[in-house]
Amino acid sequence: MNNTQTTDSVEMVNLTIDGNAVCVPKGTNLIEAAKLIKKEIPHYCYHPDLSVPGNCRMCQVEVEGAPKLLVGCATNASEGMVVRTQATSEKVKNAQESTLEFILINHPLDCTVCDQAGHCKLQDYHYEYNAKPSRFLKEDKEHKVKAEVLGPNVILDGERCIMCTRCIRFCDEITETSELGMLNRGDKSVIAVNPGKELNNDLSGTVVDLCPVGALTHRKWRFNTRIWYTKQTDSICTGCSTGCNVKVAVRDDKIVQVKARYNEKVNKEWMCDEGRYGFDRFLPKSRLQSPVISEEGNQIDDFSKAAKTLKAMKEEKITVFVAPDLMLEEYYVAKLFVEATFKNARVVISYKKRPLNEVQKKLVSPDYAANYKGAIYSGLVGENVESDYDNAIMDIYNGNTDSIMCIGERAIDFGHHVPDLYSKISELKNSIGILSDSESGLVSSLKVVFAGRSVLEKSGLLVNKDLLLQYSERVIDFPNNTDPEWRILNKLSKELGKEIVKATSDRELTLAYLAANSDLSEQTIKSIKREGVSL
Amino acid sequence: MKQQKQILLKNIDKPNQHTVSVYEENGGYKAIRKALQMGADEVKTEVKASGIRGRGGAGFATGIKWGFIADPEKSGKPVYIIQNADESEPGTFKDRLLLENDPHATIEGMLIAAVALKSHYGVVYIRGEYAFPYTRIQNAIKECYEKGYLGDNIFESGYKFDLVVHRGAGAYICGEETALLNSLEGKKGQPRLKPPFFPGVRGLYDMPTLVNNTETYAALPFIINEGAKEYASYGTEKSTGTKLFSASGHINKPGVYEVEMGYPILDFIENECGGIRDGKKLKAVIAGGSSMPILRADELKGVNLDFESLQAAGTYLGSGGFMVMDETTDMVEVALNIAHFYTHESCGQCTPCREGGHWIEKIFYRIARDKGMENDMDLVKSIANNIEGHTICAFGEALAWPAKAFIEKFPEEFRERIEASIKGKPLKKEALNFPILNH
Repeated sequence: MNNTQTTDSVEMVNLTIDGNAVCVPKGTNLIEAAKLIKKEIPHYCYHPDLSVPGNCRMCQVEVEGAPKLLVGCATNASEGMVVRTQATSEKVKNAQESTLEFILINHPLDCTVCDQAGHCKLQDYHYEYNAKPSRFLKEDKEHKVKAEVLGPNVILDGERCIMCTRCIRFCDEITETSELGMLNRGDKSVIAVNPGKELNNDLSGTVVDLCPVGALTHRKWRFNTRIWYTKQTDSICTGCSTGCNVKVAVRDDKIVQVKARYNEKVNKEWMCDEGRYGFDRFLPKSRLQSPVISEEGNQIDDFSKAAKTLKAMKEEKITVFVAPDLMLEEYYVAKLFVEATFKNARVVISYKKRPLNEVQKKLVSPDYAANYKGAIYSGLVGENVESDYDNAIMDIYNGNTDSIMCIGERAIDFGHHVPDLYSKISELKNSIGILSDSESGLVSSLKVVFAGRSVLEKSGLLVNKDLLLQYSERVIDFPNNTDPEWRILNKLSKELGKEIVKATSDRELTLAYLAANSDLSEQTIKSIKREGVSL
Repeated sequence: MKQQKQILLKNIDKPNQHTVSVYEENGGYKAIRKALQMGADEVKTEVKASGIRGRGGAGFATGIKWGFIADPEKSGKPVYIIQNADESEPGTFKDRLLLENDPHATIEGMLIAAVALKSHYGVVYIRGEYAFPYTRIQNAIKECYEKGYLGDNIFESGYKFDLVVHRGAGAYICGEETALLNSLEGKKGQPRLKPPFFPGVRGLYDMPTLVNNTETYAALPFIINEGAKEYASYGTEKSTGTKLFSASGHINKPGVYEVEMGYPILDFIENECGGIRDGKKLKAVIAGGSSMPILRADELKGVNLDFESLQAAGTYLGSGGFMVMDETTDMVEVALNIAHFYTHESCGQCTPCREGGHWIEKIFYRIARDKGMENDMDLVKSIANNIEGHTICAFGEALAWPAKAFIEKFPEEFRERIEASIKGKPLKKEALNFPILNH
């Protein structure tokens, strides 16, 4: 097998790992080099985006010519290097066994009650590389602090900690807030909050993701489920236009854990607390179900009635508000819908800039608009999203709009959800919307309302602020008597005479969209899901 | 054979040698004046030719170490000169004597190194517990500034060199040079990963840094004054010069002795140390400080006090902490005591040393307290082997070597304890009274 990663400017070096030839750019460490040939050199403390402390000693490998084993994380590949990992070297295998033995002697071995069980590196590696009975038989283990609150979101079990210091380095190097440190020496060492501080930076929950064992847990989610009872989905956070890659665990239709997923181009493995702990904030508090048409106080479940309203709107001066967290395909469907249905319509996307603090700036985007770039890309809205949106709102107040259409729960920014606006909207000639929260004031002010779905209940493509196309998987089962926004638009269009797209599911829609887009026709959902595609 | 007090301790007992005036009366600060005239390259050549090896423990050739440091005029990076006076190895107290009674010699040595490496900033990193030596070195530096021997224009040569003292906060590991640098930078005293952090290349604040032991610096004035050839005429071919030994234990005359490298170990015990106390029989010697493997009395014949001879005998010269034990010594207790020290001082950074150290201590403890188990000796050896060579710094060896050596050299004492406890007939040896369980 010969895996080659070619780059023009960087000097490449050739080495062999367990007899397999690898060619990597100079400066690549052995853990990364091994990844290229799909080999894992086990490690705890190493993280590709943090400094290399070399303290866990798990990644030791044999390098021909070196008198001792070397740590793969801190050893760079060089020309002609011959590396042997645990697969071919008895010395490495023994070193890994002993390292695991050392880590485990003072570990509480409380997997039965540990949240990390099932997705724990210590368990995984123990099964894979050691799995021997303990030789630590007689004395007590070292006892450490069991439930130390580090901050509003994170709690520490000192006994489970293996002192990899990833959390310390994250706070030192990424957030640059330096809340954490190490106290004491030897096997009394324990992670602690520096005097006068608490772990309350805006990315603080990330340390739990980085923790390879169950030492750090989310205060919000600890002790609520075993991970294997959950359904886990690789999805995208729709909190802002950064588009962090996440893994969401759901049990009984409730989000029980959100974990950042590694994507070098987007979020490394970081995630903000707002996005993480508020991941379910896009779910409607109270579910709107079945299409609702209010006609002089009567609610009728009827697409043909709605079609009548739309026909009436055809010649009017229309503003179409779209939510910033619809899928790219939906924007495309909406574009076709608007073009076919209205003669005099402008489309705006709900977009509000927000101030960020120094820590947020390292990851978070200054908006709440996950897919506004997708709306621009699809040609649905113009580049000046913020001013266009503000003007559109002003025009409702000024009476410069005959009728409006709202697509998506967040089509009108929550900051504008005020009684004044509601009454202005109810005074409009016509209004139609696709919403999902029955408690929203818009439900009673719009004349026709269909029950849509929240962003967590559908799959589709998102475009982040750097124009990276990503695939967001449905996280939560969709409720009955709701439809995704695109399908409602499609059905309405059908009533008006022409179906926009022949698709029965989110997936089919995505495939149809990809096939129709000449730039993306080579792509599949799988290829986009891997690490995104730059547009 | 030349013996006592030729180079390092020549003036050590002279009254007020710690003051600059007496130091100069006795020939002090001549070497630095000479060095300033010789220039950087010539000083470097001279030190390299002397063959002097680092006195801190590892015995790395000083001249070669200096060679790693880039010329600041070419690299554009400042060079820092550090005196490692964090002498914490149990059984070693030679630097203390130098700092207390002849601090100017170490300062002069640093000045010579500064001239050779074109450094303008130096630090004496002194063990925090060394309160009295601290006042002496601090005072000596003050005198030097007053005299113009330190500062912007040293010895009116136009050369600038500033020197400060930094007191450690009580961690043994800060004697490890990269941990020392971390400590100086205000970080936790934990060794850095090597490569890339060899101090000569990326040291203090990532700049080229020279870290040498107090005793190494103290020998430099002699090398410059008398010449490399004269220095190399002392000692053996590969271990040149003289070495300080901190003799302690069951001997009649404990103290710091300067002997020529290659001096026979048994002669040293008989002559300098004044023999074993109360006419008892010699049982064992640790020649290089507590982190080095122990030697039994029967292994000492023909062994000399130099790097090569001790290495051939299975131990190391280390820092010269020379501990002598007579026949009354309980080796299980010694092993426990030493294991306890290294457990307590393990910095906690990397896994094998952090976890393995205390494990070894716990096993020695149960053997010593008549609760030993059948495979304990093999277990300790296996743990020690798993630590050795698998850690970030040499502390892993410092912890593993003695543990292994005690069991290998005195297996019968451990076996006797273990067998008695398995049979349920404890030997009821009187336990040494030191707090060991929870440090």
